[in-house]
Amino acid sequence: MVLLASTNLVTAETSGCNSACKYYSARQSVLMETKWAVDNLQTIRTLMERSALYRRALAPIMILVGSLGIAAGLTGWLCRIESDRGFVCLWVFTALISIAGALLLMRQQALKEAEPFWSPPTRRVCQALLPAFFVGLVIASILASRPGPEGTGIQVVIVVLWLLFYGCAVHAAGFFMPRGIRWLGWLFIICGSALFIYANFVGRYWTNLWQPHLLMGGLFGGVHLVYGIYLYFTEQKTPTA
Amino acid sequence: MNPDLFSQLNRVIHEKGRLAIMSALAAAPELTFTELRGLLDMTDGNLTTHIRTLQQEGFVSVTKSYQNNRPLTSCALTAAGRKAFAQYIDLLDQIVRQSKPQ
Repeated sequence: MVLLASTNLVTAETSGCNSACKYYSARQSVLMETKWAVDNLQTIRTLMERSALYRRALAPIMILVGSLGIAAGLTGWLCRIESDRGFVCLWVFTALISIAGALLLMRQQALKEAEPFWSPPTRRVCQALLPAFFVGLVIASILASRPGPEGTGIQVVIVVLWLLFYGCAVHAAGFFMPRGIRWLGWLFIICGSALFIYANFVGRYWTNLWQPHLLMGGLFGGVHLVYGIYLYFTEQKTPTA
Repeated sequence: MNPDLFSQLNRVIHEKGRLAIMSALAAAPELTFTELRGLLDMTDGNLTTHIRTLQQEGFVSVTKSYQNNRPLTSCALTAAGRKAFAQYIDLLDQIVRQSKPQ
């Protein structure tokens, strides 16, 4: 009798345990499936963000920036803007005009394609460019505003720094753009390094060896213009951000 | 929780490599073979096999052209692929939402 009762109890407990086990097993399965789904969605999101490259047509932007650079170089040279402050002011102004023009062209392309202007790839490219631009501006402003005689080669130092910072900025932005942009970044870095080596070891020590305006016009304006013309003939005609 | 949701997931897209290809292509109008390979860190053979499977299902279109006298293979999602991918995401979303406490 006792044995029967205890058998019934064990059966009841086993049955209760089975349903509880089944419940917890099902619950565990649901939680695992949910976690898997969340992880999968996160992976998909990351991949989509990484593959969304900035793909607006760069040729018109490069040609505009290049032309403005050459024009500014000639203006500075012909108008004999020789003071350090004048040099920095002219080129910061040129940079601002170039950025404004580039943004305008990007907006036009976005409107034409009925796409958002401030798209995630555009935002990432701007975020990548900004730190190096900021540091370049601050250092150049400090160097140009320090007291001292003119013509001590500080303008060539600024050209070197701008080339290096700009190259780094373009290279960083290149991770969110087609691959060729990173090569352009390297080109600026190599130009800056070569100029540094030449001015420091080969030429006279940090004097204004060449007209700094012509250096800027040739290295910034010229390179952009040549790259823009190259892109004009090779770039795919399907701009998308 | 609706247990059928999992069984409704598209088996072709469900595979890890193919899902990665579909995700990458969903965010770009088209990607070259080289871009996809770099992005997903896949071998040429692996990527080719997955793309071929997706192409056979009609989810991906492959275009072969030339750029600067060099062969260029570009991949893009087809309308059917975009729809299947959207359904897949929707199902994943439903799975996540169903398990959340009301």
